[in-house]
Amino acid sequence: MTPPLIDTIDYREQSPAVKDRFDRMKERPVVLSVENLGKTFPTPTGEVAALKGVDFEVYRREFMCVIGPSGCGKSTLIRILAGLETESSGQVLLDGNPVAGPGPDRGMVFQSYTLFPWLTVKENVMFGPKMEGKSGSAVEGEARQWIDMVGLSRFENSYPHQLSGGMKQRVAIARALANRPRILLMDEPFGALDAQTRAQMQSYLLQIWRNLDITILFITHDLDEAVFLADRILVLKANPGEVDEIIEVSVPRPRRLDQAITPEFVATKHRINQLIHPESETEEDTLPFGRMTVEGDDVE
Amino acid sequence: MSILRHQKATNKEPWFAVRRDLSAKRASILSVISFALPLAIWAGVSYLPFLWHPDVRLQLSADRGDVTTVYIAGDRVSKGYFPTFTDAVRKQNAAIEAQLKSADPLAGVSERSVRRSNKNILRHLAPVLVSNGRIKDDQKKEDALIYEVWRDIAEGTWLPESPALSDENLAIVQRNWAAMSAVSKTYDSDNFISVPLISLIPQGRSANPDYLPSPDQVATAGIKILTEPAEGDRPSMLQRTGHSIRIVFGGFLLAAAVGIPIGVLCGTYSVFSKLVEPFTDFFRYMPAPTFSTLLVAIFLANDAPKIALVFVGTFFQLVLVVSNTTRRLDLPLLEAAQTLGANQWQLVTKVVIPGILPNLYNDLRILLGWAWTWLVIAELIGVKSGLTEFIETQGRFRNFDMVYPVIILIGLIGFFTDQILALLRGVIFPYSEEAAAASANPLIKALLFIPRWFKDAVEQRLPPEPATTNSTSH
Repeated sequence: MTPPLIDTIDYREQSPAVKDRFDRMKERPVVLSVENLGKTFPTPTGEVAALKGVDFEVYRREFMCVIGPSGCGKSTLIRILAGLETESSGQVLLDGNPVAGPGPDRGMVFQSYTLFPWLTVKENVMFGPKMEGKSGSAVEGEARQWIDMVGLSRFENSYPHQLSGGMKQRVAIARALANRPRILLMDEPFGALDAQTRAQMQSYLLQIWRNLDITILFITHDLDEAVFLADRILVLKANPGEVDEIIEVSVPRPRRLDQAITPEFVATKHRINQLIHPESETEEDTLPFGRMTVEGDDVE
Repeated sequence: MSILRHQKATNKEPWFAVRRDLSAKRASILSVISFALPLAIWAGVSYLPFLWHPDVRLQLSADRGDVTTVYIAGDRVSKGYFPTFTDAVRKQNAAIEAQLKSADPLAGVSERSVRRSNKNILRHLAPVLVSNGRIKDDQKKEDALIYEVWRDIAEGTWLPESPALSDENLAIVQRNWAAMSAVSKTYDSDNFISVPLISLIPQGRSANPDYLPSPDQVATAGIKILTEPAEGDRPSMLQRTGHSIRIVFGGFLLAAAVGIPIGVLCGTYSVFSKLVEPFTDFFRYMPAPTFSTLLVAIFLANDAPKIALVFVGTFFQLVLVVSNTTRRLDLPLLEAAQTLGANQWQLVTKVVIPGILPNLYNDLRILLGWAWTWLVIAELIGVKSGLTEFIETQGRFRNFDMVYPVIILIGLIGFFTDQILALLRGVIFPYSEEAAAASANPLIKALLFIPRWFKDAVEQRLPPEPATTNSTSH
């Protein structure tokens, strides 16, 4: 392994205040408990394991990120949690009760835009309550509050095609929250957005999380995003997807963008990088050597 | 300044650029040309004799004793055959003259048959007289009248102008008149010349085959058949059109009413898809017209078997198209709805159906076009009816100038129905991208005025909701 360019602190070094924060978090009730979860897919050449023996717990009001190399089964994991796929072994408990199938108690925000194009912003947010049979001005008023919370009051009567990508995902968050879920599952929700919008959305999401005290499980492949958002980061390794390490992020809250150069931030990021890319430079990463000169562009 | 520069830049836009849209102005110019070009080609081929005109349309015909085929004025003969025809008539004339000069001119011919063929020669001039306006169309067999005209032409007191007679034919008229007037100055059926007359040499002008009438002929015939009122058993063109539209929409709406629910179920549930689609896929390869005799046996005469044929032709395609459209609905939308608490029934009614509506609308537009295709066969089975019956009958009499207007009429009905439906798409589905473009269309603006006015009038009567004022203050 190549030696690090700069000396970083050990990511596990926590100040007493940070340690105290995590100790208190772990005293809170467990919202989501994943026990020995496994998932295999049948292929023509035999069964392939996507997830194997995944064990973790998410505490009340925790913000947990799941990160891992591509193909580690992050998406399979969150789809099982949402009930869109069934596990092959193990079980998922929500507030101690096993989950079966999708339900409004686990709100989900997808990477692709999933707003219903035929409904306005307000009607999209009212979709969940309406499925429960609720209707009337109370539901509408509540929908307005959710839209207001994500800062889109001016667009409550717009159709999704009139909104930008970031706005669509804000509505999707409001729509998932309108069901008052026990946990909000987010599957790379900002993956399709440009860098500026993504940074803005991350900051919006942290504000919403703090204002509402909700529990969030967030899938990402972006190291900065994970460290910026999470209390704890679950690192998965690929083939099959297994829990590699659960990292407690010691970067203090409230988080700000300029914390990205603090020693805690860099140390945490460095640790994840080591886990995801164990060899920092392998033969596969190097291109064969070769020099070409553009004709007429020679430099003496 | 900047606007001027911009305009200059757009003028430099190339006409040919791979996958690049043309400006609105150029696009509309080309759309006009796309209709004008076929019309111009048609007009060119019709009115410029040197372009095609492979036939000669006879203005004046003659009888030949040596062949059985009879041509009358108005018939078309090929340009290759026409000289053969005229030469044969000239030879026939020469033979008659030779016989008259012989020692026994009337040997072996009966007086009656000579008289009969002489009368035919007399009448051969009639079509020329009709086109010159000298006699009316129903006077073509009034020999006394025609006899007078022969005299006038021979004496030079009246000469036909359009078409004019060739010098050769004028000489023949004078020669025949000399012979006829020697027997009687006026027409006398009993005392008609019994010495053989010589035939007028056929005349004609170059023309297209009868299956390609000129635009003006088609326009004239079109106006005539469209304005003709119903008479006895024969319905007016408007009634025929109405009848055809009833059959198309009857069969199509029936197919849609049954086919859409089945298609949606197939697209939503694999169970229905595997149960229904394999057989449907097979059935659609059996051409609908092959069922026509069966349908007549089952549904008897009148409209029922016709509607059934349009149904058979449309239904099986519709089921497959609708199920495919349903399957194409974005899966994440259904998953999102499930995570929001939608149950099976709600998934179908609140997500699948509203989700596929815009595409379903387009599918139905295309299938309606197919239904129009089946109409032609449907109207020919059992008791022929509607627009197709008219085409069939007129086509059989080779009145192709009557056929074209009806073909064009069917095309126009289909085209405009589709264009209107395409424009309405943006109105019916305000959330689609086309909505903005459609609302800018003046036709749509006019169509939308009434419902908007109605909505505004209703809303003004309702008290404003207090919640609305709260949220707008943000």
